[in-house]
Amino acid sequence: MPGLGTSFGRGGATTAQQDLQFANCILIQGSSMAENHPVGFRWVMKARENGATIIHVDPRYSRTSAMADLWVPIRPGTDIVFLGGIVNYTLTQERYFHEYVVRYTNASCIVKEGFQDSEDGGGFFSGWEEARRAYDPKSWTYEGDDLGHPQRDLTLQHPRCVFQILKRHFARYTPELVQRVTGCPPDLFQQVAEKFTAASGPDKTAAMCYAVGWTQHSVGVQIIRTASILQLLQGNIGRPGGGIMALRGHASIQGSTDIPTLYDALPGYLPVPRGTKEHDEEKLDTFLNNYTNPTGLWHSLPAYTISLLKSYYGTRATKENEWGWRFLPRINRDHSHLAYFAEMFEGKVEGFFLMGQNPAVGGQHSRFERLALSKLKWMVVRDLVEIESACWWYRSPEIERGELTTDQIGTEIFFLPAAGHAEKAGTFTNTQRLLQFREKAVSPPGDCRSENWFIHQLAKRLIAKARASTDRLDEPLRALDWWYPETEDGEPEPEAILAEINGWKTDPNAGSDGVFMGKDRDGHPHHGPQIGDYMDLKDDGSTASGCWIYTGVLGPDGVNKAHRRKPEGRYGHGWGFAWPSDRHIIYNRASARPDGSPWSKEKELVWWDAQRKQWTGHDVADFKKTKAPDFEPKPDAKGLEGQRGDAPFILHEDGLGWIYVPRGLQDGPLPTHFEPIESPIQNPVYPRNTNPAVNWFTRDYNPKAPPGDPRFPFVLSTFRLTEHHTAGGMSRWLSHLAELQPEMFVELSPEFAEHLGITHGDHVTVVTLRGGIEARAMVSRRIRPLLVDGRQLHQVFMPFHWGAAGPFQGGSVNDLLELTAEPNISIHEGKVCLCNVIPERMPRGPQFWDWFKGKVQPDARPNRHPEEPPPGAPDGGRLVPGHGQHGKSHTL
Amino acid sequence: MIATPQNHPDNFEERLHQLREEALAKGVVTGAGVHAAAGPMPEPTRTPETLNTVGYYGLPIIKPPVWKWMIGGYFFVGGLSGMASLLAAAALLKRDWAMSRAAMWCAAAGAVVSPALLIWDLGRPQRFINMLRVFKPQSPMSLGSWVLTAFGAAAIPGAVLTELQFRMLERGTPNAAIHGLAIAAIVGSASTGVLLATYTGALLGVTAVPAWHLHRKVLPFHFGIAGLGSAAALLELLGFRSPALRLIGYGAAALETAVLVTLETRKHAEADEALHKGKSGLTLRSGEALEGPLSLVFRAFGASPQAAGCFLAGALLTRFGWLSAGRESAKNPRAVLASQRPALPAAPSRRQRSIAKPQHQPAESM
Amino acid sequence: MIGEGILSTNQRPHTYVQDEITTGFFTDPTVCIGCKACEVACKEWNNVPADFAGWTGHSYDNTTSLGASTWRHVMFLEQPERQGRQVAGPMGNDHQDPFRWQFLSDVCKHCEEAGCLESCPTGSIVRTENGAVYVQDDVCNGCGYCVVSCPFGVIDRRDEQEEDKGGAFKCTFCYDRQISGLTPACAKACPTESIRFGPLTDLEREAEVRVSTLRSAGYEDAQLYNPKETSVKGTHAFFLLLGKPESYNLPPRPEVPTVYLKDAYTSMAGTALFAAAAVVALFALS
Ligand SMILES: Nc1nc2c(c(=O)[nH]1)N[C@H]1C(S)=C(S)[C@@H](COP(=O)(O)OP(=O)(O)OC[C@H]3O[C@@H](n4cnc5c(=O)[nH]c(N)nc54)[C@H](O)[C@@H]3O)O[C@H]1N2
Ligand SMILES: Nc1nc2c(c(=O)[nH]1)N[C@H]1C(S)=C(S)[C@@H](COP(=O)(O)OP(=O)(O)OC[C@H]3O[C@@H](n4cnc5c(=O)[nH]c(N)nc54)[C@H](O)[C@@H]3O)O[C@H]1N2
Ligand code: SF4
Ligand code: SF4
Ligand code: SF4
Ligand code: SF4
Ligand code: SF4
Ligand SMILES: [Mo]
Repeated sequence: MPGLGTSFGRGGATTAQQDLQFANCILIQGSSMAENHPVGFRWVMKARENGATIIHVDPRYSRTSAMADLWVPIRPGTDIVFLGGIVNYTLTQERYFHEYVVRYTNASCIVKEGFQDSEDGGGFFSGWEEARRAYDPKSWTYEGDDLGHPQRDLTLQHPRCVFQILKRHFARYTPELVQRVTGCPPDLFQQVAEKFTAASGPDKTAAMCYAVGWTQHSVGVQIIRTASILQLLQGNIGRPGGGIMALRGHASIQGSTDIPTLYDALPGYLPVPRGTKEHDEEKLDTFLNNYTNPTGLWHSLPAYTISLLKSYYGTRATKENEWGWRFLPRINRDHSHLAYFAEMFEGKVEGFFLMGQNPAVGGQHSRFERLALSKLKWMVVRDLVEIESACWWYRSPEIERGELTTDQIGTEIFFLPAAGHAEKAGTFTNTQRLLQFREKAVSPPGDCRSENWFIHQLAKRLIAKARASTDRLDEPLRALDWWYPETEDGEPEPEAILAEINGWKTDPNAGSDGVFMGKDRDGHPHHGPQIGDYMDLKDDGSTASGCWIYTGVLGPDGVNKAHRRKPEGRYGHGWGFAWPSDRHIIYNRASARPDGSPWSKEKELVWWDAQRKQWTGHDVADFKKTKAPDFEPKPDAKGLEGQRGDAPFILHEDGLGWIYVPRGLQDGPLPTHFEPIESPIQNPVYPRNTNPAVNWFTRDYNPKAPPGDPRFPFVLSTFRLTEHHTAGGMSRWLSHLAELQPEMFVELSPEFAEHLGITHGDHVTVVTLRGGIEARAMVSRRIRPLLVDGRQLHQVFMPFHWGAAGPFQGGSVNDLLELTAEPNISIHEGKVCLCNVIPERMPRGPQFWDWFKGKVQPDARPNRHPEEPPPGAPDGGRLVPGHGQHGKSHTL
Repeated sequence: MIATPQNHPDNFEERLHQLREEALAKGVVTGAGVHAAAGPMPEPTRTPETLNTVGYYGLPIIKPPVWKWMIGGYFFVGGLSGMASLLAAAALLKRDWAMSRAAMWCAAAGAVVSPALLIWDLGRPQRFINMLRVFKPQSPMSLGSWVLTAFGAAAIPGAVLTELQFRMLERGTPNAAIHGLAIAAIVGSASTGVLLATYTGALLGVTAVPAWHLHRKVLPFHFGIAGLGSAAALLELLGFRSPALRLIGYGAAALETAVLVTLETRKHAEADEALHKGKSGLTLRSGEALEGPLSLVFRAFGASPQAAGCFLAGALLTRFGWLSAGRESAKNPRAVLASQRPALPAAPSRRQRSIAKPQHQPAESM
Repeated sequence: MIGEGILSTNQRPHTYVQDEITTGFFTDPTVCIGCKACEVACKEWNNVPADFAGWTGHSYDNTTSLGASTWRHVMFLEQPERQGRQVAGPMGNDHQDPFRWQFLSDVCKHCEEAGCLESCPTGSIVRTENGAVYVQDDVCNGCGYCVVSCPFGVIDRRDEQEEDKGGAFKCTFCYDRQISGLTPACAKACPTESIRFGPLTDLEREAEVRVSTLRSAGYEDAQLYNPKETSVKGTHAFFLLLGKPESYNLPPRPEVPTVYLKDAYTSMAGTALFAAAAVVALFALS
């Protein structure tokens, strides 16, 4: 979530769901929270009962809209304009929180001369390099190039101060433009702008909730950036009832970005070293130089990195071998999901482990993903049930249509049954950064095994093989410190893993106090006492920590804090452990005035206790506990000592919230509206239609409809149902869930049904350039046609939970979507494309494609966007400096 | 199938009229069209059916009976055999042991077949005996179970005893004990038999099913008379002829005709339309026609066996008719609503929709 | 009000069964998000099979009604009405063309005068210490009489004639949970406390406050559904409704069928006597 990461410092929700109850207004946009986060939604309902205004901005009237005071429909993919309109309203109506903006954000910082805004560049900022299809962000930085010590104009009058740039940038986002682009009537927009801004100020706060309705766009990160700007202008970050609640996906998806399953990030948001010609991070020192900030929390990056290496390689990480630095792989190109599937399709990938994912259904352009799997030599699937990604070789549309024949497929498939979440112990990190340890309820049946067991057993065998070899390539394996004590079932002890994540002193003789599970599998002393805080991590090899941001979860007191179950106070401290350091609302220094007293009685959270000379309050202060509000750093001071006492955003060098992002994003320091890759209209805001830095995956198998393509006059968007979970592996196989939503359907308006001449319940086929699927027509006034850019636009909405396997089968909506990747996080555009609806059933079997050709005319026009680069063009600047450092993560 | 608007059709008409006027006057129409209520959508082609359905997607408000054909059969058999024992008792007044014997065998056969049919229909047949776990007079089903049991306890030995008595009389070796026992058993079965033949009416009448409970007074009478007529008819078909039987035949047919007339004249509009409409109405009406007018006609022409056959067929058919009418009426939400509100009020137009009065006064303070 | 601090009120341990306190459900659709967690939790806890009604097209409701295998049922109503003072996009804005989507979780009413209980010939249906109406599964023989005796169409018999299946089933009010001091599974799973569980008198008080709060907040058609003035004499599971009961398939004037007993039994006795007298007379006189 670099949208949040670059704005505030950390790539996680700034608040906790419980805190939503204190809001005066909640704007839910890009999420159907009631449907997909029903348990957390209780706090929204509580807020509503407390008198808060609930606003839902969503293209379709969902169960969330039903609970809102105000439902506002917009066209998918136009959120920047909608939010930008509110930003403009805030600035022109002077509805911003003046003191907060001046003191806590970088509104006052002066940007370097030479920066050119997109308003003046036809959608492009300065620094665009067409040849690389990427920005050089040098010109985006502050005057004086020193992010730690920006020049500020606290009157906000300097023409190059962020505030003035912002004003100019958003001046065009008027209610009229909002209507033209989003389809939202001006009076509705006006109501949202008024209600939201009126609910912010010293004694009021407004919160925002979003999920994949924002992220899965070619401008996803910039949508979140717009929201961040708005929340900073309203002074809602770090305050009770404020914040931005990023609602995450799978149960521990936050955990799997903190300790990532991503190709370009290491635990604790450390970047993976690069091995390209321009960015040669072969040496640890180069790496540390590239990423260590003089001031702020990132000043200690060397300690975090070296402690991580010590946890990986134990005694084999020494000062001499650069703490094992060279054992880490380097990345030299995009290896994100879509990129490696493209390589797989091209036959460049031999083997594949698929654990807990179902790309044959959930993956974008899933027909392509299934075909890619058929190019593998072997694959291992670990899942609870035999999902589509495991049985595509004998049951899939491709088999049915004769595109693949089972005995011609060379892929060898190993299906290994996995243990479910109740069948194994360990922690989940939930959407609000809360770690909760869960015990095993029952043992897994039969041959089902947990991930821990599988990885552990695989590692032991691989390490043994590596030890028997002398190949230099095997050295990283030989170097691994695979010490974990085992349970009776041959699993690594989950708490031993947690202890390692927390971190310890590496010297086994450093004292016996505070040692937790100090012996390795063979009974030898392995490490010293646990450490209690990431401030204690060292860059001299004396500490190890598997993920610095989690430090404190299992400290020297030996208490597994993720396992605590005694909630107390407003936020339930004492239940689990919220990273960092059990802070539930982060950046909460901002909940107090610059002088350390609360902004108001209603909205107090943490404050400076002048008597005891420390920060205190309802939450753990996200600040150095004893740093006084009036603290002034010495000019050369480093780390936290280099930041002022009124600088709440401690991960940023300047300690400020970034309205303007001087570094860290691929597609600009400020948000700009670009149309979705497939759009019914030309961009009314800029001459350029699409995000310049997006990765198009220009391939023959990835056709795209140009703007306004008459073959596909309608907009298709996708959503989830409460009754199902994602690709269906965890719901379509369960009778009690599957019976609740047994069949694929498409939601459309009565007006559109009339246009098509169909009736509620009819079978229709939805087609795009990628293919077609059948669905029942769910005709409802919940779907409204919109007036966009002067004409009526029909939209259809489809859930994405069905596939070809299991007891409840149905069309998979991802067969319809195209491949593209947002430039910052490589996320697909899963929420919008162009389609047509054929009011008849779709033929199955080999005749499908003939029928499709007849109905769709795929060859009648060019299937390429005019702005799409030719095949083989650079795919955007993913690997440029600064990337990954600011809490980059993938909202899955 | 799908949309079940709540709106009264008039409401649509009113708005449609406005739209037409507006179109004529201005050439363009602004504002909303018409919309179906409670349905997920208005069907582009609305039909009177979709407009007429009420409630929640036109789904049943109450559960239709789960009973299968066995229960209809049981009503028939139970009614016939119960009343047969009454005839057996009455025949004794004439010392007609032959008729008594035949009637008692009918009763006994009924006493065996009835529980068999009942058990057959149970969800858990092996637990039939639980029927006698408690005695609950407020439950016609419980009452009926005990009646049936008592009836069986009297009728089956009663038939044997009557047979014995009959044979002894034939052989001229009467036995006072047997005689006394037989009479006791016959009177016992007769007194339970009349209840067996009538309680089934109460069984249907004391339910939530509108077509049934609206006729709770008629049903026991209707079923009782049908049982009586059937018993007499069966005896006639078995070759017994007596003025009493004939008069009973006449009387039963006449009374069933009266029932038919009552049902046809005292209609409860939608609430019991299942008695008059559709398959269930047809079954019921033809059954009643057979029992009532038709067998009267046959009798008038002196065709007793035909009249008897007609009556029996009618009695069986009406029982199925009632069951299926019950099923239909339970399935139709309009029937349930109509039974609870004298007449469905026309839906107020959307703009002047009156607010339902709260059933509880809101608390004074909060 | 939802919850106490950060805890749910539906988590409190209790001793209602032991103390013989009548408990109930107050279900409030204005906070129901239609998540169906109650439906699923009920099936999971009670081990009730799925009944696969298929895709019905009744908005998002694919279970259609309460029945032998559905003891909680969430209804989905799409109506041309306004939800409180909600502004529903272009629909609600001009108040010309209002729209709302409502959800209500239906359940056995646990009637004060319960048709099913009165009618049950085996005594399988009993009233428990906490006032609930409970089917003893080991007694029920599946006669099906309760099915037609419930004025709310709740209880039903399963089709299969098997020892463990063919009986009549409905909500047990989670007697097994309540007796252990737990909240019923459906209420416990309800994220927004749309299903409120507790002593009936408390709930009734709460409900009246809720109605007046809602009415002053613009929900002009809010009312309680708890047919006390009919022979049912009130239900232990009662509901807040927006609009008419009919839209939720709730009978406007439910009557416990025993009110028909007098008529039916009079007719029955009369007929029996009449038949006996008539037959005797005919035989005697002819
Ligand atoms: N029951 C259930 N819960 C889930 C999941 C599940 O499958 N089932 N999945 C989990 C996962 S993995 C995730 S990531 C989360 C996702 O949670 P959500 O993001 O809430 O999920 P979606 O329903 O995919 O999308 C949310 C809404 O975004 C709207 N939308 C689409 N395009 C746009 C747009 O351009 N702008 C705006 N403003 N809105 C748009 C859609 O109409 C939809 O209502 O849910 C998690 N929770
Ligand atoms: N069009 C469109 N496409 C989308 C989205 C969208 O909104 N629209 N949403 C996207 C999003 S946000 C997501 S997260 C993806 C989801 O897509 P996927 O991640 O591909 O789909 P899931 O069904 O969540 O796959 C998880 C699998 O893990 C299995 N599983 C569960 N527990 C365990 C375990 O403990 N061990 C193992 N080994 N396996 C386990 C489950 O059975 C399931 O099959 O879909 C994406 N695709
Ligand atoms: S499934 Fe789990 S994570 Fe999702 S809403 Fe329910 S409780 Fe929360
Ligand atoms: S609602 Fe029906 S099943 Fe429930 S207690 Fe009342 S009569 Fe019995
Ligand atoms: S079906 Fe079972 S519970 Fe219902 S009335 Fe018969 S015996 Fe009682
Ligand atoms: S109380 Fe128990 S049995 Fe009744 S609906 Fe709730 S969960 Fe189901
Ligand atoms: S669990 Fe609660 S919120 Fe969810 S559907 Fe049931 S009653 Fe409604
Ligand atoms: Mo996700």
